[in-house]
Amino acid sequence: MTRDNDQNVLRLPSEKLYSEELEALKKTDKDPKPAGWQLSPKAVLTYITGGKAGDKEITPKYIGNKRLVEIAIATLLTDRALLLIGEPGTAKSWLSENLTAAIHGDSSKVIQGTAGTTEEQIRYSWNYAMLLAQGPSDQALIKSPIFRAMETGGIARFEEISRCASEVQDALISILSEKTVSIPELGLEVPAARGFSIIATANTRDRGVNEMSAALKRRFNIIVLPAPADIETEIDIVRKRVSEISANYALTASMPEDEVVRKVVTIFRELRSGMTMDGKEKVKPTSSVISTAEAISLLTGSMALAASFGSGTIQEEDIAAGLQGAIVKDEEKDRLVWKEYLDNVMKKRGSSWRSLYNACSEMNG
Amino acid sequence: MAEPVQRLFGDERMNDRQPFHVFGIRHLSPAGAYHLRAFLAEKKPTAVLVEGPGDASEYISQLVARNVVPPVALLAYTDQLPVRTLLYPYAVYSPEYQAFLWSEQNGVHAEFIDLPSDISLSLYEMRREGLNGSSNNDPGNEDENDIDNDSVHNANNGEEEVLPAGGDIRSYARRQHDLYEQIAALAGESDYESYWERYFEHETGGETYREAIHHYSAQMREMTEQHEWELAPAEAAYNEIREAYMRRRINEVLDAGHDPDKVVVVTGAHHVSALRADLPSMSDAQLANLPRSATKITLMPYSYYKLSTQSGYGAGNHAPAYYELFWRCLQRNELNKLSSLYLTHVVTHMRKHGTYRSTASVIEGVRLAEALASLHNGRFPTWKDLRDAVMISLGNGELSTVAEALARTDIGTVIGSLPDGVSQTPVQDDLKRELKRLKLEKYKSVVATDLALDLRENHRVKSDNAAFLDLNRSVLLHRLELMGISFARKQRSRQDSATWAEQWVLQWTPEAEIQTVESTLKGETVELAAAFVLHEKLLECTSIVEASQIIRIACDCDLSSIMEEARMTLQRLAVDVGNFSEIATSAYELSVLIQYGSIRLIETGTLIPLLQQLFLRGALLLVDTALCSEEAAKNNISAINALHTIAQEHFEVVDDQLWRQKLEELSSRDDRNARMSGYAFAILLERNEVSENQCAQEVSRRLSPGIPADLGAGWFEGLALRNRYALLSRIFLWKQLDEYIHSLEHDQFQRSLVFLRRAFSTFEPREKASIAELMGDLWGSGALETGELLQQPLSEEEKEKIDELNDFDFGDL
Repeated sequence: MTRDNDQNVLRLPSEKLYSEELEALKKTDKDPKPAGWQLSPKAVLTYITGGKAGDKEITPKYIGNKRLVEIAIATLLTDRALLLIGEPGTAKSWLSENLTAAIHGDSSKVIQGTAGTTEEQIRYSWNYAMLLAQGPSDQALIKSPIFRAMETGGIARFEEISRCASEVQDALISILSEKTVSIPELGLEVPAARGFSIIATANTRDRGVNEMSAALKRRFNIIVLPAPADIETEIDIVRKRVSEISANYALTASMPEDEVVRKVVTIFRELRSGMTMDGKEKVKPTSSVISTAEAISLLTGSMALAASFGSGTIQEEDIAAGLQGAIVKDEEKDRLVWKEYLDNVMKKRGSSWRSLYNACSEMNG
Repeated sequence: MAEPVQRLFGDERMNDRQPFHVFGIRHLSPAGAYHLRAFLAEKKPTAVLVEGPGDASEYISQLVARNVVPPVALLAYTDQLPVRTLLYPYAVYSPEYQAFLWSEQNGVHAEFIDLPSDISLSLYEMRREGLNGSSNNDPGNEDENDIDNDSVHNANNGEEEVLPAGGDIRSYARRQHDLYEQIAALAGESDYESYWERYFEHETGGETYREAIHHYSAQMREMTEQHEWELAPAEAAYNEIREAYMRRRINEVLDAGHDPDKVVVVTGAHHVSALRADLPSMSDAQLANLPRSATKITLMPYSYYKLSTQSGYGAGNHAPAYYELFWRCLQRNELNKLSSLYLTHVVTHMRKHGTYRSTASVIEGVRLAEALASLHNGRFPTWKDLRDAVMISLGNGELSTVAEALARTDIGTVIGSLPDGVSQTPVQDDLKRELKRLKLEKYKSVVATDLALDLRENHRVKSDNAAFLDLNRSVLLHRLELMGISFARKQRSRQDSATWAEQWVLQWTPEAEIQTVESTLKGETVELAAAFVLHEKLLECTSIVEASQIIRIACDCDLSSIMEEARMTLQRLAVDVGNFSEIATSAYELSVLIQYGSIRLIETGTLIPLLQQLFLRGALLLVDTALCSEEAAKNNISAINALHTIAQEHFEVVDDQLWRQKLEELSSRDDRNARMSGYAFAILLERNEVSENQCAQEVSRRLSPGIPADLGAGWFEGLALRNRYALLSRIFLWKQLDEYIHSLEHDQFQRSLVFLRRAFSTFEPREKASIAELMGDLWGSGALETGELLQQPLSEEEKEKIDELNDFDFGDL
């Protein structure tokens, strides 16, 4: 039921967004493909970490530790499902979407975990009108994304699994170990086709998450996604994503200058690690996590501000507003942390930081 | 087999043109050992020639003797200072070790053919000097990836010292490093070790392995040789000399009548292309021209831990226990079981330590490792694949959970051993004799045992030896401690005064054995080695405190020659020292020695002039030093205390008169640190040098109204640091203090309160009680009642008042 007019879609799924790259990879892929996969593991790796497919340049989707991507792909070759955990904004969902797109070609089979997620949403539910009218039948059955993935031998995604209640999470146990779903009402056992797997993501440091049971954890290979290892990597990530997003949203402001990106990433890294980049000075870290994803949205937000209300190029004031929002959020404590950082670190950084400092301290009050 | 290598070579098969066989290896490589054994079994040589110090051939038979448990190492060292060493560690999976084992089992002649250690160590020394003035290289970088490296050790610190290098050799090393990384990256591996393991160690075809490694090294050498000559000519020349010598030795063996087809040369792969029959070998004249310096050679037990911490000796060093597992699997032809064995080892260790992981997790881990290997077109998982699989499947994604189990599995606790009679070093022999003489042999066990020593002469026995048995034991244990042999640990004595009692805990470990062997470099006997260590310390020592501690150690270790030397050093250093507390500390060390030296039967008379000198200087510095801050005063007061103790105990040798004068001067000066002045006055008071009158006068002067609170109260604080009974017995003193406090303005009072509170905080409750009673008497309110009142806990209101003081701004204090 997807609309055909891709041009007018706000956010394209990865398999559409990078369809050319996937096609090129399919054409050049000579290695054996595991059952149910549309690409070989090596081609998937190239798709995620970048490289070449014939003449076609493949852009890296996940910048950072290549080895983790290898392990993730290798996991999907084994019996276990994949669980990506990490702090908010470490590209868990992004990686999961792209892995699914590359392996299965359809990243839309998603369950979004919330406190309200029920077991039916994981297994199957009924169209009750039809159920009452006709009794249990195939037509009345509403299959969950996982159910559909099992039928086709594809990959289902389970976002934020730790936000579901533990009982609901445990519905996955039998699916992952038996690899079947039984529908007693129809007297049916639906076995999973080859290639079926689940990629789940979970948050480690957030409020309102439920601990996963050991039995369930055992059915996953857990990969911890770290924050970007060094500033250059993080700047690369931020710049790449900002340009993609601004194209999607047709932001008319010009791309932020390198210097601006560097400043924002520097501030974020210093507040995250609790120490200045040169390691000489201690900085009080904020109480909430400030992720790379927030640096990206801060910059796109600033671009939107500049385009709609400003001169079209990002000004220090636009950045300052974004920083205030991203760092302080609603914590009074963080406002002090931010103020301390401004006065102890940023103020001493010299003239190139001066205007940003002024804008920020004005905003912080 | 590895694609990158296959691309490298043409069809030139240099080895097939050779009259003799060369087998290129990477040191500490299980696959190399495995294929080498197969190669030897196939060629059935009559002579096996191995790269290694040419003068160590006689140790080969010992190396493969029964009861030798690898890892063991061959150690060559110069017997002159500075001691330089060459170390060749062998694990069970070392190709060289397996070559010797094969020769032994088949009764085949085996020998080392590299430069004798006396030449290579001299050349090493020359290269060092030739590159003088340049800074040391980073040990990791240069050697890490080289196929062939001999690690050269500096004996003095036991740490590996890579050849010092100028900027050029550095850039050469960096180039090499980058080159290896590039090769790894081309093959899609994250690091060179993984590349090597995947493409060489996992190669199960013997002939393919041999050819691959030969071509790989030959190409590598061709590519880098030019740069080596340009950037690191000394290294390249050294290599040339070695190879010419090796060719000479090969020729000698051929001349001795061995059929060339029955000669196998085992050497680092780097040298393979240079060991050709058509290249000239070293002539007699050339050989005679090479520098030599006398060396000795010994075998020593080694440990996997040391092997893993050593960089620069080829593959297998990061995870010796893993490579041993690898070797065992290879031998049984079941390399495919390595993954499951590895993970089982890890999980067993985890379970033993209380972390349960199911067998299903192990199975999934093995599958994951194999999937990772298949991503790289590998046949078997590499060490890195296995580690990652362990982290994911057994550690739930976190390394910390599995780190310890991994360390156990990768490195392990294996320590080699040598049977008695195999190449004992002189110092090992000496230690054995000493332990026997002192009846300490029974303590040489792995179980820790306590030993209490009584250093006094035992009058109930006849022989001298028995009478001073414990003293001699103490000397030996102190020496071992000094040499860094972890056999005995001295426990802190509970009783400070009992200088004749010592408590030790004795425990023998193989590590101690290794440490003993290593100390061979320092001297032939325990005594000489200990003296050497102390001598080195003395050369480095720059402060008189260190020097006096060395004198003390020398005394504990009964090394009178060093003691004399240290005494001279101390004296030399003392001339320039103007630091009061350093002087006091070292003078105090000396005084203790002089006082108790007799118990160790040591002649300490020579120390007396030095003590006098130090004491004199201390006394002269006293008044000047007292011009100091509050923080420094604390140190200085303990220094005064030390000097005063000396003055009391050695009054017959030191200038006590002068000391008293200086104390008097200090106590009467108003411009010095008040606390120190007060302390000096307290000493005088204690020595009864001050009459009641004088005392009253001084106290009233110090505590007169108008004197700033910090000075007055600070002085009193110093006064109260010593002998409180002298204070408590002088009622007038309290009277004056009382009056003084009354006379203070509110602000001044608050200031003085800080000092007084600090002064009284160290008083015991009993003493506080008697002060309270004293005050009661003074105020006429009755001693007992006042005492009780003052001893009561503070009321809320009073507490608040005191809390207010917390906000008091002390300004410049």
